[in-house]
Amino acid sequence: MNNTKLRFGAILLILSLVLVACGGSTEETVEEPAVEEAPAETLAAPATTSPPPEKLLIWAEEKIAVALDPLVGAYESAAGVDVEVVIYDFGSIKDDVLTAGPAGEGPDLFIGPHDMVGEVVTNGVVAPIDLGSIQSDIFDVGISAFSYGGEVYGFPYATEAIAMFYNSDLVDGVPSTWEEVKAACDAAGTELCVGAPGGGGGGDAYHNIPFVQSDGGYIFKFDGGFDPSDVGLDNASALASAEFLDSLVKNGTVAATDYGASMSAFQEGRSLFWMTGPWARNDAAAVNYGVGLIPTFGGNAATPFVGVRGMFISSFSEKKVLAQSFILDFFATVDVQAAMYAEDPRLPATKSLFAIVEKEDPIAAQFAASASNGIPMPNIPEMGSVWGPVGDALLIIRDQNYGTNEDTGVTVDSAADAMKLAAQQVRDAIAGG
Amino acid sequence: MKTSTILKYILLGIFNALMFYVVPLAISYESWFLLIIIGIITFLINITYITNKLKPLKWITPGFVFLISFVLFPAGYNFYVSFTNWQTGHILTKTQVIERLEDLTYSTEEQKGVEFDLYVMQDSNLDFFFLADFDQDNLLFGRAVTSDQFEDIEYATHEPSFKDSNNNITIPESFYLLSGKEQIANSSTLQDLSLLVDKNTRIKLYNISVFGASSGRIFSSQQKYTYDKDSEILYDNRKNVACTLGDRGNFICGGESVDPGWRINVGTENYQRIVDDQRFRGPLSTVAKWTFQFAFFSVALAFIVGLLLAITLNNEKVRFQKLYRSIYIIPYAIPAFISILVFRGLLNPDFGLVNDWLDPLYQLFNIEPIRWFRTEESSKAAVLLVNTWLGFPYMFLIVTGALQSIPNELIEASKVDGATPRQSFFKITFPLLLVSISPLLIGAFAFNFNNFTLIFLLTGGGPPIVGADVSVGYTDILISFTYNLAVSGGRGVQFGLAAAVTTLIFFLVLIISAISFRYSKRLERVYGNI
Repeated sequence: MNNTKLRFGAILLILSLVLVACGGSTEETVEEPAVEEAPAETLAAPATTSPPPEKLLIWAEEKIAVALDPLVGAYESAAGVDVEVVIYDFGSIKDDVLTAGPAGEGPDLFIGPHDMVGEVVTNGVVAPIDLGSIQSDIFDVGISAFSYGGEVYGFPYATEAIAMFYNSDLVDGVPSTWEEVKAACDAAGTELCVGAPGGGGGGDAYHNIPFVQSDGGYIFKFDGGFDPSDVGLDNASALASAEFLDSLVKNGTVAATDYGASMSAFQEGRSLFWMTGPWARNDAAAVNYGVGLIPTFGGNAATPFVGVRGMFISSFSEKKVLAQSFILDFFATVDVQAAMYAEDPRLPATKSLFAIVEKEDPIAAQFAASASNGIPMPNIPEMGSVWGPVGDALLIIRDQNYGTNEDTGVTVDSAADAMKLAAQQVRDAIAGG
Repeated sequence: MKTSTILKYILLGIFNALMFYVVPLAISYESWFLLIIIGIITFLINITYITNKLKPLKWITPGFVFLISFVLFPAGYNFYVSFTNWQTGHILTKTQVIERLEDLTYSTEEQKGVEFDLYVMQDSNLDFFFLADFDQDNLLFGRAVTSDQFEDIEYATHEPSFKDSNNNITIPESFYLLSGKEQIANSSTLQDLSLLVDKNTRIKLYNISVFGASSGRIFSSQQKYTYDKDSEILYDNRKNVACTLGDRGNFICGGESVDPGWRINVGTENYQRIVDDQRFRGPLSTVAKWTFQFAFFSVALAFIVGLLLAITLNNEKVRFQKLYRSIYIIPYAIPAFISILVFRGLLNPDFGLVNDWLDPLYQLFNIEPIRWFRTEESSKAAVLLVNTWLGFPYMFLIVTGALQSIPNELIEASKVDGATPRQSFFKITFPLLLVSISPLLIGAFAFNFNNFTLIFLLTGGGPPIVGADVSVGYTDILISFTYNLAVSGGRGVQFGLAAAVTTLIFFLVLIISAISFRYSKRLERVYGNI
């Protein structure tokens, strides 16, 4: 009895093995002829006889997917391609591309922010893209944002940068100097003057970076690419800028607010200005608002970080020419870009779309003007070691948390001390790998 | 045979089929560890269910399989990762790296940026031909081939006959011109084909346009990198240098390592870094101390609050018992991350409600308002406050349950013997409670030891420890400290290092738990037989 059972089991095992083997081989045989068998003997329209259409898998956030949805059908029928747009949470695309690509499960194309360029290139999961003639239509900031090691790695479709919201019931616009800002606040008599994220216990290097790099300071020296070995957080200009921020905090121009507090203060009319980006337009609409440039520093225009969003080609895609053609022939066209802008109004990265948007939306034009003074957020992997220390240092200044630390015995008595400390931490982190 | 037996074999067959389906996948990804695990599991399942001799195993095996896949495998994998250099720039396997590198083409300075119309056609043998329309003197035509056929192919020739007198492209009868759509249908083939112009120059399809004419680009006839398997040397054809294998899982070209690199085994290097690196060692003792304090006080405070409420509500004289119990469970029912963010707003020192409410007190006693999140003490207090709020309903629930399981006779008996309520609580109720609850307290301690969410969302580790060797805050616990170091290291994410620290934390928690369980076992021996 037992013997027969054993034999039965063995046969089942072998059977399942054979089944699997068959399954595997049929899969392989399907792949090959799909490309080879194209034309029939007659020369009339041979290629169309190849049965399975090519497929393109795209990962995009919901708004982009919604914008592409009504348009992509025209491309699909004209090109004979199946385009599948998978809706993805914007923030998780990078992590999933890093794991799914190497596992053979990843998309052909995906969207993402430019500051991940260095990391995905270093990891070898994206392929360079040749934008060719359309490159001249893209703002320089977009191209340099997506450049790494001499190659361009994505098609930029949207940019964003912070500027200054103002409460238009209380003030006519944003003055061009910080002294005038202070005077305007005193005249209006609001509880707070400028609400900017990055204080109140919540460090935020991104929102505060104009206070560092507008007047000669820099995080990494930019010369074609960002140089992680040249940190300029504690050069003379950066230290002077930090001291200037310190004076703005001391005289009450810049309030000790984190993001939430700066938002509620602006919405409740308790602050005159709010320093943040175009994503906050709906929140700002609680009051009548306008947008202007961040005031100048030592006569220099404020230099915010510009974030750029773009579409990448996966290095694991087996259809790179098709993927590139999809971008150049369809995605980059002004109609598609306009549809995306309508769904998700960030600033256009292309000049042709900006020419349209500029006339219709003066607020967007203001943000664009602010972005045109900015520099792209560094896209090198070393940037990961910057956010913490710089956020901490600026937090000390914004919250006026000076003094001697009992545990470390280190004294930070001034804004300059705080920046020197941050610069040292960044250098150590980069040196330590 | 009985139906159940047949069913068993069918299920077993399906299981085996699935397992064998995974085998080629595991091999193709070079995942040998997974392969071994699959082998063990398949063997165990088959041996258990095919023979009748191993009856007890029929119940144990499935549990064992789940133990392997959900506990041992992740822990083991984490352990394995801690011995690798898995980090930004080293996430692929060596084979994948070579494939990616060999995939790259390049153009010389003169070749860059030249864009022209490219026509794709096929002859009766279904071979592909490219026609590149540079200018009047260069209408280049030839067969498009893959790079391994470059040796035997003739260079492209200028064919003015492909244009008519109106400068329109005319194709001879013997060729078929592919439309954009047809090019796309064949794009997987076309993307590997080149039209060889001369020894160093080739033309490739670059943009297939379905609305206009497709265009081409000129590239060097060589790939950017070629790899020689036998000598393990990578040739950089653009710079014309030979790149050797580095010892960190990279190719080294002229002193510089090439990205991407691949994962290699680095031995105990990650562990050594924890010991040697000043950026770790400096803040480690501060962080470790606070981690223990945080975990201990979180459990203690939540337990005390839960216990007091449970005892109060356990008194039969309390009316609306059920209503109160439901109310006290609310903090448990709200997702923690929401309560944490709400608390963050409430505690805001300038605009938060908490300081608004406390304002009369501040004025009455003429003291400075608490600067929540900005000083060490207030941040730590806030963390413990919020965690107590999040944790007490759980303690309240289990203590209520445990209280109801303690027989009333014991308390009554002690009363008869003349014990005060306080005595009977401390001598009888409380020890009995501890017997059943202490494993849960240990669990809560281990959970809070790694309570990343709370710290990350509430304080982000802040306020920063000024002057520390690395960006670290007073409320950072070991796991959030590790997270910061691993993701904001010098150069991207360092999984290997993070895995090493989590392995250490794992053993730390293991030891603490083992000691505590031993202690609670003793409690059980003392009070268990009451």
